[in-house]
Amino acid sequence: MFPPPVRRAALCASLLLQVGAVVVMWLSARAEAGPAVRETIAAAVTAATPDEQREMILSLKATPSPEVVSWLDKWKEGAIFIYQDDEGKATALLLTGSQDAADSYATLRLSDGAPMCAADGSPIRINPKAVDFADTDSGLRRAMKEVADLAALADADPDKRIRAIQDSAIGQNSDKLPALEAVRLLEKNPKALRALEESMAIIRLNSPEPEQRITACNTLGRLHSIAARDMIKSMATETDAATDKDTRTAANHALSAIDSHIATINALGTAFRGLSLGSVLLVVAIGLAITFGLMGIINMAHGELIAVGAYTTYIIQNVFAAGLKLSPFGVSISIPGLNLHSGGNLYFAVALPASFIAAALVGLLLERTVIRFLYRRPLESLLATWGISLVLQQLFRLIFGANNVQVTSPLWLSGNWTVNDVVFGWNRVFVIVFAAAIIAATWLVINKTPLGLLIRAVMQNRNMAACMGIRTERVNMMTFGFGCGLAGLAGAFLSQIGNVGPSLGQNYIVDAFMTVVVGGVGNILGTVISALGIGVADQTLQQYLGNPVTGKILVLAAIILFLQWRPAGLFVTRSRSLD
Amino acid sequence: MTTTPVSSRVHGPILFLAAVFLVVVMPALNCYGLIADFTLNLWGKYLCYGIMAVAIDLLWGYTGLLCLGQALFFSLGGYMMGMHLMLMIGKLGQYKSDLPDFMVFLGHSQLPGFWQPFYSFPFTLAMVFLVPGLLALVFGFLAFRSRIKGVYFSILTQALTYGAALLFFRNDLLVGGNNGFTDFRTLLGSDLRIATTQRWLYIATALLLVAVVAGCKWLTKSRFGLIQRAIRDSENRVLFSGYATANFKLFIFVASAMIAAAAGALYVPQVGIINPSEMTPEKSLEAVVWVALGGRGSLYGPVLGAVSVNALKSWASRAYPDMWLLILGGSFVLVVMFMPKGIIGIPAQIAGLAARLRRRRAEVAPDPAPATQMTDS
Repeated sequence: MFPPPVRRAALCASLLLQVGAVVVMWLSARAEAGPAVRETIAAAVTAATPDEQREMILSLKATPSPEVVSWLDKWKEGAIFIYQDDEGKATALLLTGSQDAADSYATLRLSDGAPMCAADGSPIRINPKAVDFADTDSGLRRAMKEVADLAALADADPDKRIRAIQDSAIGQNSDKLPALEAVRLLEKNPKALRALEESMAIIRLNSPEPEQRITACNTLGRLHSIAARDMIKSMATETDAATDKDTRTAANHALSAIDSHIATINALGTAFRGLSLGSVLLVVAIGLAITFGLMGIINMAHGELIAVGAYTTYIIQNVFAAGLKLSPFGVSISIPGLNLHSGGNLYFAVALPASFIAAALVGLLLERTVIRFLYRRPLESLLATWGISLVLQQLFRLIFGANNVQVTSPLWLSGNWTVNDVVFGWNRVFVIVFAAAIIAATWLVINKTPLGLLIRAVMQNRNMAACMGIRTERVNMMTFGFGCGLAGLAGAFLSQIGNVGPSLGQNYIVDAFMTVVVGGVGNILGTVISALGIGVADQTLQQYLGNPVTGKILVLAAIILFLQWRPAGLFVTRSRSLD
Repeated sequence: MTTTPVSSRVHGPILFLAAVFLVVVMPALNCYGLIADFTLNLWGKYLCYGIMAVAIDLLWGYTGLLCLGQALFFSLGGYMMGMHLMLMIGKLGQYKSDLPDFMVFLGHSQLPGFWQPFYSFPFTLAMVFLVPGLLALVFGFLAFRSRIKGVYFSILTQALTYGAALLFFRNDLLVGGNNGFTDFRTLLGSDLRIATTQRWLYIATALLLVAVVAGCKWLTKSRFGLIQRAIRDSENRVLFSGYATANFKLFIFVASAMIAAAAGALYVPQVGIINPSEMTPEKSLEAVVWVALGGRGSLYGPVLGAVSVNALKSWASRAYPDMWLLILGGSFVLVVMFMPKGIIGIPAQIAGLAARLRRRRAEVAPDPAPATQMTDS
């Protein structure tokens, strides 16, 4: 509610009357709009002078509705025709039906929708080229716009209504105030009410009365109106300091309130983006935290296992849709599709386990054929897996083509959620939730299952575990498969937020290794903290430097320096053995 | 890994002959038209890679430090030389300006201060060694001081290279962005696009290679080399014996960076282009592949590996462009798994196999039946 002085000033007598009339008529208009509107428009079309026409259109402001707008649009488009009968009486007509041999159409009267008949009762057909259509001039169009704006304010869809309310503040035209005031009395939606308050205050910033301007400033400051920032800023700088000190003070207050709000929004937005980037890193690195952190294998093909997961998602998506044709090595393979209608949203539920399994299988194959011979030679496992990554990349190129393939993400991922001017994209929220779920699952597997117990035992002391009767070979295999499966999940996940191509994994591999090293090898909690830390640092630097690449380089430099301070990462696994 | 390096078993005269062949015979044959200019130029490139491979081997094969940043030092050397060459273009560029073309294109009207001294060739030559050397010194000091070793060292050098590549891809570093430097004209007053200049560049490369190999051989045979190998085999024992291992490693790291940089500086005028894609971690890994394939822990193996892999690459990427990466990756996996000592180690491996076979035969000799069965089948 506005404080009393504003109210008094705003609601001067004539306006009060008009507003009252608008509201009453609007309420009644919601009950029975149809015929009255058509008659008014028909009368307006055939009215004698442009002034009369204008008057009649403006009278429609009492009954703003989508129907009015649609008729006015027809008028503007030239779809209403004027028929002059023999006595010179003009009637507004609409054309209907299809064209006949004489290029003519059947006609309907605009005023009641009945077929237009001549005196003898035979229907009149007219050729649109032979008769005049209802013309408009700029004055009429302006009047029509006023009516349409008002109709938008009364739209049933709250989002459209809010947009109309916000648009009405553009130009700071005080003529719009009565309508906004009227709408405000009926509005129930809190967001729309807030928008109304904001728009009215923005318009009042332009008011000739200093008192009103000050109140408007206070209101906007309280609302943290970003839209009004520039206007308030110009007010704060242009107002004469000597004569209008209060206005200037109020504007400065409002400005600082809005600026601190913007700073908060930016900080929150940065933190949120950093968190989501950190979550991406985390998802990518968690598999590596198992294979590298726990097992000590430098798996340079980790990125390609991510790509395996992403391509699996791609295949599943196509299986749910129209199928897929591939032609690796000149052999053409055609995978039939299920053509499911709801496949667009459903496939992901299948793709997640499928990508886990696919990547885990590839990982098991690698482990059995190559990596198990290299457990004691970590540097050589680095080189061998790099060779594997080259081979896999080229295989992707040969099977799926060198270009990126299209993975469409479900529709619900593209929306966003705005809280207090901070925008939370659903895809980023999804990233964070997904990362949290993966971490929780991994933690459960490692700490609460028999497999996890075996994994920890073997990783701590392979020989001792073997002496206790644990089949270390098998545990190695399972652990590596599990880590690779997590990489596959990361791939399914990355396919939703980025491109899927043969070099998908290469873009993440360095970051993933850095994350694990910084976190401290062999510690999943360390990986979580380091991923989130790197993500937030990266986004913050980006925000302040305004440049993503410089931010990234600085983060890399910071990591190298960080390792000076803690060479073994955040969380050190202490042991008495001397490597 | 306590066996004597394979290199010591390769005879001196063969190596001497190989050196003479590379330095004298090949250019001479080219002079009389028996070797095409293109081939000689290609070999110049291979030998540059060979020098880089020796630098990697010095670090990896002899000191146990797998550095994935050697391509960075190589291209830094190349960039230094490239800056000089860019200035030597003078007004012959597209825009007929004293400035390098890319600067005109970016809207600069004045040469940035740090480019000015590169008009001088001696300064450039000093920078070729100093810039990568300093980077290696600072990075190595930080890394070795906090005892980062093994795979962590590899991952950190990889990150360093990655970060540097990102930096060099940027236009505002004023070193040509992702196009890098190209379209060179002259070096020390002679036209780079004529065969004679290229031949001299080849000779310089071959000489440098021979010098580097000889120098490294001397170094690794000295007492210093002994400590170096001791560090590789058991750093803690060396440390506990009272040696400051970090300083030894730092010296080797800086020396290796400088050798790679010198190779890069010779590479650029021969290939005619340098851009940031040369300094990516993948390039470093590729170079490590040459060393592993040729045989690390020997100074000739890496050269052999660099030349043979690149010759194979030149051929296969033309004949089977789709298969090339499969061949490289696959052969690499096989070499790591079955030929830990690389090509150079094959004779020893065969000899070992033969010895085992002989021993087995000696054991089964009293009973001739299985032997005849074997010949039958």
